[in-house]
Amino acid sequence: MNDSEPLNLQRRRVLMGMGAAGVALAGSALSCPAMAAAPAQVTEAPSSDKTEDRHDFRGVHQTGVVTPRPASGMLVAFDVLAANREDLERLFRTLNERIAFLMTGGPVAQIDPKLPPPDSGILGPVVTPDNLTITVSVGESLFDERFGLAGVKPKRLQRMVGFPNDALDADCCHGDLSLQFCANTADTNIHALRDIVKNLPDLLLVRWKQEGSVPPQAPVKPGVPAQSARNFLGFRDGSANPDSNDARAMDRIVWVQPGSDEPEWAVHGSYQAVRIIRNFVERWDRTPLQEQESILGRVKSSGAPIGGHSETEVPDYSNDPAGKRTKLDAHIRLANPRTAASQANLILRRPFNYSNGVNKNGQLDMGLLFICYQADLEKGFITVQTRLNGEPLEEYLKPVGGGYFFTLPGVTGDQDFIGRSLLAATHTETAA
Amino acid sequence: MKKTPLALLLTLGLLNIPLSAFAVTAPLDLVGPVSDYKIYVTEKLDELARHTQQFTDAVKKGDLATAQKLYAPTRVYYESIEPIAELFSDLDASIDSRVDDHEQGVKAEDFTGFHRIEYSLFAENSTKGLDALADRLNKDVQDLQTRVAGLTFPPEKVVGGAAALLEEVATTKISGEEDRYSHTDLYDFQGNIDGAKKIVDLFRPHIEQQDKAFVAKVDKNFATVDKILAKYRTADGGFETYDKVKDNDRKALVGPVNTLAEDLSMMRGKLGLN
Repeated sequence: MNDSEPLNLQRRRVLMGMGAAGVALAGSALSCPAMAAAPAQVTEAPSSDKTEDRHDFRGVHQTGVVTPRPASGMLVAFDVLAANREDLERLFRTLNERIAFLMTGGPVAQIDPKLPPPDSGILGPVVTPDNLTITVSVGESLFDERFGLAGVKPKRLQRMVGFPNDALDADCCHGDLSLQFCANTADTNIHALRDIVKNLPDLLLVRWKQEGSVPPQAPVKPGVPAQSARNFLGFRDGSANPDSNDARAMDRIVWVQPGSDEPEWAVHGSYQAVRIIRNFVERWDRTPLQEQESILGRVKSSGAPIGGHSETEVPDYSNDPAGKRTKLDAHIRLANPRTAASQANLILRRPFNYSNGVNKNGQLDMGLLFICYQADLEKGFITVQTRLNGEPLEEYLKPVGGGYFFTLPGVTGDQDFIGRSLLAATHTETAA
Repeated sequence: MKKTPLALLLTLGLLNIPLSAFAVTAPLDLVGPVSDYKIYVTEKLDELARHTQQFTDAVKKGDLATAQKLYAPTRVYYESIEPIAELFSDLDASIDSRVDDHEQGVKAEDFTGFHRIEYSLFAENSTKGLDALADRLNKDVQDLQTRVAGLTFPPEKVVGGAAALLEEVATTKISGEEDRYSHTDLYDFQGNIDGAKKIVDLFRPHIEQQDKAFVAKVDKNFATVDKILAKYRTADGGFETYDKVKDNDRKALVGPVNTLAEDLSMMRGKLGLN
């Protein structure tokens, strides 16, 4: 036996019963449990037991809002090319049909091979849902003169206006419609996007797109609380997020409720705020740890509030009025001061880390694809971001894009389709 | 610009088209429209050669105004027959490559042809140092004429050309990056569209036989594009510069262009071609 031969190759030979050396080795090799399975080939697909995970597309609320966030996210904003209401309805009905299929999975149609295939084939001949959710939201511009929707615009829906630290790039702002794709892998999101683009060439034009990811963590031991994922600043992000499994809290914080001052059709919808926030990571990595922690207001390693031990500890600022422990302008203290009044400003965050390439100066172009949901955009994101204006963290951040959208109510029943309540709300108006 | 192995294409002739189970149109049926298309391409190439001569004469004479004026109306012939011209990838590169096809940009030694001359004429407002480039362009266009004359047109390339032209529009015309110095993109835009429409017209009876609705939808989208382009026609029969095209018109062009690209990509299959 050649000593320089890689161990894995030796194992394969054993398992495949090749060669005298392999046979000689067999007894001892197979006694080791770690050698029970053949090591994978270079090009073998990584294995996942989650490709059949699926969410029900139907429900009072859309999925992808309080649904646990998977590893891959993508936000795509579109211009709607529909020329009239009939086309707009065709857009919503087609979206509904495609989303229902993509989230359920199944075989794709086999057609004459002389024709272009109807599916990109990225996921093979049988589409696996892979935990996919597609969340449909509409922008303020959809309510302009084109479709007669002006009279039923959600009260707080508005065009995003730059905050003082923003440097908005017009090419990645706003849109008539946004689709948020979330799945276990980026490939599943891309497959879904390409399906939608191919099926709606005359009705949708991609305006901008941002993909992001969340780093997976090893499973926690039973009884130990799950920890939030880390962002590209290296801090746990989402520690103070409200409990997305608490339906009553979600009704209060995230979903538009019956009897509110919002239009009736918008009930069970939500406001989606999207921000592409570039992080100056080289500069951040050159900042002393204690300064990073005091800027954020949390311990980097554990995610605990300054002075605390675990991420889940709720910071108590009442005994620190002068900001001796947690600075008054620390990010988490400004974002959520934990006062009775600031309870009205809670939002449900659903962010992804993004990495886009390199800037002209050789610096890494990466940051946070920030997405949050709330029942009241003004009391939620806009108030929170206004409180954050001028925070010390701004030196390391530059928001460059995003927009505000209204996430449509869910689809219930077989006759329903996404956007139906919005169209129905204005039906009589245009008919008159 | 697309690189297709020349040798492969030259070996493909009408008789090499295999009959498949899906063939709904016997290849012999396509002989008529394919040879009509060759006549069309030959006429366009004659025009291209004639206009290129006038254009390069103006360049060499140092007549900047005339050269600038002739640039777009000359190119349009090339754009309308691009699927055939592209079969000769070496000539396509030397006649029609764009600056971003070259790592060294405008300074690249192999950056020649229309867009290199466009750069001098419109970005530098100069005809200086263009003599060799002008001669080369003339020679390349004449070479193209000779090579096309000797080419057996592969039917799948002819029919597929309609879709290819729409891909050209979707990829480089909507963004206004084809003629980035002269902003004369609308000439090329119309050239691509006219070239695609010609192909659809030639095979119209064959497609209508099996799918009338398809042809009607394609016609409707061509008409929408033509109508928007017509808004930017100038009195001399030319076009406004692309920066004049309103945002809502650019957007209104995307829908029909992308839909045409999707629909025309079905044409080869509908005619049973590989």
